[in-house]
Amino acid sequence: MPTQTAQRPIATEVPLRPAGLAATLPGVALLFAIGLAGKLLERLFAVLRTQHHLYLPHIEYVLWAIILGLLIANVFGIAAVFRPGVATYELWLKLGIVLVGARFLLQDVLHIGSLSLLLVAIELILSLSMMTLLGRIFRLPPKLTSLLAIGSSICGVTAIMAAQGAIDPDEEDTSTAIAAILALGAIALVTFPTIGHLLHMGQQAYGMWAGLAVDNTAESILTGSLYGQDAGRWAVLAKTARSSFIGFVVLGYAVYWASRGQAHNVEHKALFLWQKFPKFILGFLAISFLATGGIFTASQIDSLSNLSRWAFLPAFAGVGLRTNLRDLVGQGWRPLLVGVLGEIFIALITLGLVYWSYNLGVAR
Amino acid sequence: MENPQSDRPTQPYSAHRLPFDADLLAIGIGLALAALIRFGIIHQVAF
Repeated sequence: MPTQTAQRPIATEVPLRPAGLAATLPGVALLFAIGLAGKLLERLFAVLRTQHHLYLPHIEYVLWAIILGLLIANVFGIAAVFRPGVATYELWLKLGIVLVGARFLLQDVLHIGSLSLLLVAIELILSLSMMTLLGRIFRLPPKLTSLLAIGSSICGVTAIMAAQGAIDPDEEDTSTAIAAILALGAIALVTFPTIGHLLHMGQQAYGMWAGLAVDNTAESILTGSLYGQDAGRWAVLAKTARSSFIGFVVLGYAVYWASRGQAHNVEHKALFLWQKFPKFILGFLAISFLATGGIFTASQIDSLSNLSRWAFLPAFAGVGLRTNLRDLVGQGWRPLLVGVLGEIFIALITLGLVYWSYNLGVAR
Repeated sequence: MENPQSDRPTQPYSAHRLPFDADLLAIGIGLALAALIRFGIIHQVAF
């Protein structure tokens, strides 16, 4: 998991320092300002439509946040003073996921989560094989192929960053793979909701599809949320199930490259798996466990759910801010083409899996 | 055929590392907010 999430950098070993925290404040303020501006614009358009009868489209705050972020990042650029804080979008994203656990009863998590795990396992085998095949056909460097396969099958940038330390790729390979995955995530934001509407998909089925097919955690939840609030929640569940595989896949690649003498040996495999496991999933499960146990009243669950939406607001703004449109065209055609073909394959496979699940009544 | 090595992004990926562990902080803040809501210190949150 945009676990990456992300997304951009993974959690760090750098100790908590007040100076480091203070440096994040301008960027955090920018994230929230963009998110709030998105909410204000949504309301402004609604008022102009209903009270002044102007013909204006209904644009959700989610989409406004991305549009504003994209405009700022690509027209004006992000000043250095904002960059450390913009990177905290990852924290808000994970906080939103933890809090949205209140909306899931543990039995739902176990049922749909188990189904997701099965679908993810099928998706992983097929997508890793397809990306490897495409990488060979288009003669990409082998480690770049590995990074693209890991990033597109699991959770985007987070998985690539996790693999970077494990398979020792060239720095350029990492940059190329990340740029390709971010570009593909941006494409998914536009294409997935359109396809969902064309196919008249339900909120749950669409959310599962977005969670299973879109790489970065942030883009995945955003793609779900663009279709509807419920779809966003189900995208969170499917995506967290997918992200939980990150350690196993990265370990597999690390062992493979070590066996060829091109990466370090992994001495303690269990420790490796724990280090790579996205821990925020435990927070999601903990909140879901508490909600299932009746700890919260209905209005308290509403409050927790609303808090998660507040947390997602700056995270969505961060997605727009870190999307560099120049990288869409500047990374060379070959990795992007491999990524696009692989993503189309993954999207079709997961769409088929989701349809199969819902038509056969495996999911409810 | 174009050299694959030339297929590079124009700008290298420059990650800004967070000065904290985002996973643990997200869990900590999430549980703290849940406790504040559960014990009525935060009453109602609208969106």
